Amino acid sequence: MKKMLPESELARDERFVRTNIEDRLFDPRGPKVAQRNTGPARMGVDRPAAGERSRSLMHGIFVGEIQALEGAGRTCYDFDDETAPFQLKLDMARQCWDESRHCEISVKLGDHMGAEIGEYTESTFLFAAACNPDPVLRLCGVNRALEGLAIDVFNSMKDFGNESGDPVLEFCEDWMLADEVTHVKMGSDWLRRLTATDPERRERALEFQRTVDAIFNLGGFRGEDDENPIQLARNFRRLAGFTDDENDSLAALARESTVQAREMAEAASAALHASAQGS
Amino acid sequence: MTETTKPRAPFAPWDRRELPGLFAVEESARRVGNYKWAEMRLFEVLGGWVATIPELDVKLMLGRHTYHHAWHAELWHKRLPELREMNPDRLTVPPNDAFVTFMDAIREPEAPELTIEKLVGVYRVLIPRFIAVYTYHLNGTSTITDAPTIRSLKFALQDEFDDWRDGEMLLQSLIDTPEKVERAGRRQMDLERLYLVSGGIAGPGSLGEPVEEVRVS
Ligand SMILES: [Fe+2]
Ligand SMILES: [Fe+2]
Repeated sequence: MKKMLPESELARDERFVRTNIEDRLFDPRGPKVAQRNTGPARMGVDRPAAGERSRSLMHGIFVGEIQALEGAGRTCYDFDDETAPFQLKLDMARQCWDESRHCEISVKLGDHMGAEIGEYTESTFLFAAACNPDPVLRLCGVNRALEGLAIDVFNSMKDFGNESGDPVLEFCEDWMLADEVTHVKMGSDWLRRLTATDPERRERALEFQRTVDAIFNLGGFRGEDDENPIQLARNFRRLAGFTDDENDSLAALARESTVQAREMAEAASAALHASAQGS
Repeated sequence: MTETTKPRAPFAPWDRRELPGLFAVEESARRVGNYKWAEMRLFEVLGGWVATIPELDVKLMLGRHTYHHAWHAELWHKRLPELREMNPDRLTVPPNDAFVTFMDAIREPEAPELTIEKLVGVYRVLIPRFIAVYTYHLNGTSTITDAPTIRSLKFALQDEFDDWRDGEMLLQSLIDTPEKVERAGRRQMDLERLYLVSGGIAGPGSLGEPVEEVRVS
């Protein structure tokens, strides 16, 4: 088997429908949807679409877990013993087992919430970050940026389970959250160890992490306001090895993205309005 | 009241452990190094295959098993310095080139249609041989002097048995036509031939019998 498997070759059965992140962001229906004033975007039980949104998010978590499993697995295989130390591969193997359990948990939670495999699309962006040829960049993009996002998502879902009186959801999210903190910590530890004498490589890795983080802040998906569906989980991030400075700058980045998203939505809505009047 | 001064035998009557064993320290270390090398190559490929396997149940099982074999490699890695090998990498080697050829063949299939070939190599050829080689070591080594290796062998064997059953059951459910029976059989035969040439996970003598060099034409 070759080293480095491209994202396009991820193996799936016929239920899965693949989409890419650009399609989602530039979906022409987006501006129309944005015209509707649907109130705060934060996951809340009192929202009319709460059930549907939580099912869709759970499916997103499920496919994310598959890709996290696949990414950790590829890191065990893609590098020789010199490029990726034995202990790093052991950590990745441990992560494989954890992500495999997360897939099992998310399938069962999906059933519990009424979602079916393949009911929503899958974008393979997470795995794309796991294709980076430098293991340090790979761990920064996946374990720090994306697993950091998983901490935020699971914490938001856990709160949602609590608020909606769903102890099964709350229980499972809490367990997955514990594993994700461990995975982010692995990323933080390996970043420190492998770049101890190479500040330039460390900076490149952190830059890659910021790029991945920025993509998931897009459209105000994550942040600390009511407008953000996913809330930044500062306390759990601290446990996982993020400094307060890192959390602050991520929050600032997220605020910027939220403002940009709002401006884009307003501009799009104005353009639609103008064209409707012109026609 | 318990009489504290009455002498008792150091070994209870039911404790039949004995000093003699088949392996000196060096031989035990050599074997352990071979085990670690093979477990590493196995966990790496299981991890790598996850992304290439469309069947969800197989994909998730491989994620679990990847860690089992990584953990075995870690057990052997930690045992090596205790067997006087302070540089574990020196002994983390295959027994011979033929065994490398065998492992390369195990790791070769990639396409998503080749799940049967992947699983046959691991669950019908390699893991049964891990079970054999570990059991040989377990039964042959000194039950007193080499007790730490025995403890690790037992943990590893427990996983190997469980994993073998998981893999074999999935294989049986995937092999649902006469053509697939043949595919699985062919794959097993090809790999067993290569294994035979290598002499085993720890080379010739993996199961004790000194083996004459085998040639496969
Ligand atoms: Fe996960
Ligand atoms: Fe994770």
